[in-house]
Order: sequence, then C-alpha cells, then structure tokens
Amino acid sequence: MATSSSTARRNRAIGQNLRAAGLALASIVFLIYVLAPVSWLISSSLQQEAALTSVPPQWVPEEPHLDNFRAIFSAGEEEKVTYETRREADTASGGFIPSTAKNLLPAMGNSFIVSIAVVILNLIVAVPAAYAIAKIRFYGRSASIYGILITRVIPDIALIVPFFLFIRNLGLLDTLTSLVITYLAVTVPFSVFILVSYFEQLPDELDKAARVDGCSRIQTMTKVFLPLAAPSLVALSLFAFLTSWNEFLLALMFTQTAASQTLPIIVASFTSDFTISFSFINAAGVLAIIPPVILAIVFQRYIVSGMTAGAVKG
Amino acid sequence: MARIQFKHITKTYAGGAPAVDTLNLEIKDREFLVLLGPSGCGKSTTLNMIAGLEDPTSGELWFDDLDVTYLPPHKRDVAMVFQSYALYPHKNVYENIAFGLRMRKVANDEIERRVRDAARKLEIEHLLERKPGQLSGGQRQRVALGRAMVREPAVFLMDEPLSNLDAALRVSMRAEIKHLHAAMGTTFVYVTHDQAEALTLADRIVVMQNGVVQQIGTPDEIYERPANIFVASFLGSPPINYLHGKLKQNGDHVSFVNDNVRFALDASTIARIGSRPEKVVLGIRPEDVQITTAGGNVIEGLVDSVLPVGSDRFLGLKINGSDFFIRVGKEARFAEGERIAFSPVPERVHVFDGDSGKNIAGAS
Repeated sequence: MATSSSTARRNRAIGQNLRAAGLALASIVFLIYVLAPVSWLISSSLQQEAALTSVPPQWVPEEPHLDNFRAIFSAGEEEKVTYETRREADTASGGFIPSTAKNLLPAMGNSFIVSIAVVILNLIVAVPAAYAIAKIRFYGRSASIYGILITRVIPDIALIVPFFLFIRNLGLLDTLTSLVITYLAVTVPFSVFILVSYFEQLPDELDKAARVDGCSRIQTMTKVFLPLAAPSLVALSLFAFLTSWNEFLLALMFTQTAASQTLPIIVASFTSDFTISFSFINAAGVLAIIPPVILAIVFQRYIVSGMTAGAVKG
Repeated sequence: MARIQFKHITKTYAGGAPAVDTLNLEIKDREFLVLLGPSGCGKSTTLNMIAGLEDPTSGELWFDDLDVTYLPPHKRDVAMVFQSYALYPHKNVYENIAFGLRMRKVANDEIERRVRDAARKLEIEHLLERKPGQLSGGQRQRVALGRAMVREPAVFLMDEPLSNLDAALRVSMRAEIKHLHAAMGTTFVYVTHDQAEALTLADRIVVMQNGVVQQIGTPDEIYERPANIFVASFLGSPPINYLHGKLKQNGDHVSFVNDNVRFALDASTIARIGSRPEKVVLGIRPEDVQITTAGGNVIEGLVDSVLPVGSDRFLGLKINGSDFFIRVGKEARFAEGERIAFSPVPERVHVFDGDSGKNIAGAS
C-alpha cells in the first residue's frame, strides 16, 4: 500500500516536471517566433546595407552605425539628394537616403495627431452608446447591436469607394480630418462592442442603485460605470490607437501630400525611390514601433485585465 | 413619510402579458407593506415603479398629493435595498454610504455625521475604509441598509434584501429590519417570496400572482382567511392540505363529503358560507388537527413519514394515495406504516370553491 502510494507520488512528480519543461519549451519557441523579426528590425537598422545581405546574417552588427537615424533627425538640413549624389553613393554599401526622408518626422506627427483624436472621439462616442445599449431598454436596441456587428464583418476595402466619394464631396481630401472620420467608422463599432459586453456583465441592480441614490442617467454612467470600466477603456483606447497608427489602405487613398500623409505611407514610399535602402527603411520601422511599444508597456497591467473584463463582481 | 397610491396601474413589457395588471393599492404613511408572491408575479415590477426605475404602461402613481407617475428616480425621495446589495465595487464602505448624500449636495460635515451614525447603529464602524469585495455577505447587507438609511427617505424600498443570506443571519436581520422601521418612522415597502419573512415583518401583506393582487390584508387575515387556494397554499410550512368533495345539507347541518371522509362543518363556518358550488375543496392546515381515536369527524390515514423539526413533529400521511401533513406534539411517537385517526378543528377549516378556488367562507 505504502509503496504503491509512493510510486504514485513519484509518478505525479515526474509528470509535473515534464509538464513544466514542456511549458517552458513552448514559451521559448513562442518568444523566438515573436521576437526574432523585431530583433532583426532593430539590428538591421544599425547595419551597413552590405552587411544586411551577408550570409550568414549578422544578428549582432559587426560595425554598428547610426547614420540612418542621424539622417532622419537631421532631415531638415539634409544635403540635397540628386541623381549625382545618388551616383556617388555606393548602392552596395548603402549610405544613401531616400528623397522623402525629410517627411518621416512630420508624418509621425500626423500619425500621432490622428491616432490621439481617434482615441478621444472613440471614448466620447462609444461610452454613452455602450451604456445605453447595455442598460436602457429602448425600441431598436437589438437592431442597433446587430447594425454595429454587421459593420464589423464588412472588410474595409469594400468601403473604400463610398468613403472616397464621401470624403471628396466634403472637400476633405488630403486632410487629417478625412483620416479621423474614416478611422472612427472602423474603430467605434469595435469599441462599442467591447464596452457593451463589459457593461452587460455589471449587474443591472448597480445601475438601479445609482439612479435611486440620485444619479441621472449621465451621472450613473460617469460616476459608477466609467470608473469600473477603466481597464476596458484602456484596452479599447490602445486598440483604436494602434489601428489608426498602423492603417495604410485608407491613408493611401485620402492623402496626397506630406501635409496629411501618415507614417505607413511615408515608409512605404521609401521603396518607390530609384534605389532602396533596406537599412534606412528598418530604421524608420524602429521609430514607428516605439510609441505603441511605450503605450503597451505603460498600460500592460490594464491590457490583460481589460481583455478578461467582467470578473469585477460585487 | 409618504402615502403611496396606485391608481389602475398596468405595466406591460413588449410582447408579453401584463407584469402588473390594473393595480389599485393604497400604502399608508409609515406602514410596513410586504409584497408577497412567487417569482414573476409582478412584485418587483411594482417596487420598481415606486422607485421610478420603470414607468407604468397606464395608470397613475401618487406620493401624498404629488403625481409621480413619470418622475425619474433621482427626483423621488426614495431609497432602495437590493437583493444583490449592488454596492459600488470601486468605492469604500464610507463612500458607498455617503454617495446618495453627495449626489444630493448635502454638506460634508452632515454627511460625516450621518454616515458615522448609521455605521454605529449597524455595527460596521470598523469596516468604513474597506472595499465591498473585502466584506462578507452579511456585512455587505448592512452597508446596503446603511446606504439607504442615511438618506432618511420618505419611502424605503427593499427587494428581497435577505435572500442571499444564510438561514440564521436571515432570522436575526428580520428583527433588525423591524427595529429599523420602528426607529425611522417611514413607509416601508418590502418584496419577498418568503412567506415567513412576510408574516414576521408586515403590517399588511399584498399577495400577488401573475400580476394580479390576490389578497390584501394583515398577516393574520391572510393566514386565517385566505381569499383563495393560491393564497392558502402560499402561506404556511408544511403547506395547507386539501380534500376534494361536495357539501351536503342535512337540516341545519352542512357536511363535507367524499368517498372516505365525512366532516360536519361548524355553525360559524356555515354562517360565513355565501354561495354553494357543486364541488368544494376543504383546506386543513397541518396544525389545525387533533389526534383522536373515536367520535365523529374523524379522518384516517397511514403514516408515510415522520418529520421532526425540533420544536414540533410533523407526520406525512397518505390518505387515498395523496399526501397530507399534520402537526403532532414533539413527544408523540408514531411509526411509519401505522394507521392513525385525527380530526380537524372544526372552526379552523377553510372551504374553497372547487372550480374557481375562491374561499366561499371567507368573509367573517
């Protein structure tokens, strides 16, 4: 009896160790899968163009340099890029800068303005909409939920033509406003959807208690539901920010000049020059991922709890 | 302090039968009124309409001389305690209790005074800094009571406030709520499906079923003279027993008769009987019987189960295949399978119309 129970215990211990080892291995594989492209991006932004194509690839640059970044930040007084200067530069070793490089920082500014505006307007629109759908019984309530759902299953590209006509008729082509409007159309349904499912999990009695305690509908929303929804608000703000920050297709349609072009458009334009400098493009890529990464690190605590929202009972 | 009047109130939800059907009810000032009924009977809807959380489909609702039918909740002077307590999870106990006062712009020192006062009465002073998540069910219940108390409302509403508590705590909280009513001197409207709670607390009980009021009366009236079979069945544990049969006139005497029971009604019951339907149902509460061996009015049955409850002992009998519960003294000893005879206390039997279920000997 005693031996069989100790055998069982040993078997269980072995099983647990195997399980832990398996989990660790899976985590490592997953980490490599996720981090390898990012590492290559950062590493290659510091390499010479020639080193970039060497075999085997240099994961740690042998001759790191910051020329690409220097070029981006001194874009204002950069020497003029002409056919001649381009010829002087050796295409094999790199060292040349795309003609639209000076637009990179302004584009980053544009991206930032658009993304922040989309986040703020998202919150202003989605919170009352979600509260009303979740807690007020009104005619057309389920119709509005389905309406919102349907807009989410239509691919963005199907909306390009109507969006374009709409924006052109409003005279908003090549403005940041056109991007804010169209990004809202894409992100608000998702935000409403996230918040509705969160608010619905909060008991109806909480809503009733607040109203009996003296809150109007608006006050119930701002004083009781908003503070409880903080993690969800962070999650959907991040989502709206990232969607706007990364969006390419709509921006390509509606922007024409550096006045309104966003980061993805400018970075893409680097490939359409006479020659392509991959290390420069990667340097731009590094700059492009910095704001989202900072946001993710700052709010990581909320992202997890926002995704698993609803556990906030009583 | 407020008198509440329901005038022909009906509440219908989209695509359904009325949740509350033509309710006419006057709740007196400072009364403790209990709305009693099974789930879905319309009692919570009635309470929500008093609070203003739901609008009636038709009819009028008055507080004293003020028509409040469509007044939003924050403009009514009501406070409410909920079954799930509905405390604000992000506020500590002090702020939970103070919230209603803050919304009404009460001065800070007055809020402080009232919150401390309520916390002392409810013995939760040591919990004021905690969040609701750190409290037990009973403590949350007290906080919910405190939140309503400090408001000093004209109408105090409670929606099954004790249902989530364990049995022992529920009984002691009943006594506290009764004290609270006496101390506050305000109108209480209390919703429950627990008949014992209703009988303990109420000045008057309103029994509801399917949105319709079945009976309004004091606990004694409801228990002693139930208006119909539904009310009789809803109050009492174990529930009232029924025998189906006919009434037979024999000179001045009226007897209840079926295949194996013959039971002479007493003069006071006969005097109260209005109509004489073909089929009747005799209602006998478990406690209204005496064990006998001889004499008239005897009913016989087989002991099927013996159910001691500490203070008493109940017997589950089989009479012609149907269940029948009676109460016997705790000293009485009976064995399962034993054949016994008992006789109902004649003046305490209830006579119902076999078709409509109405108490035909109701009016006293």
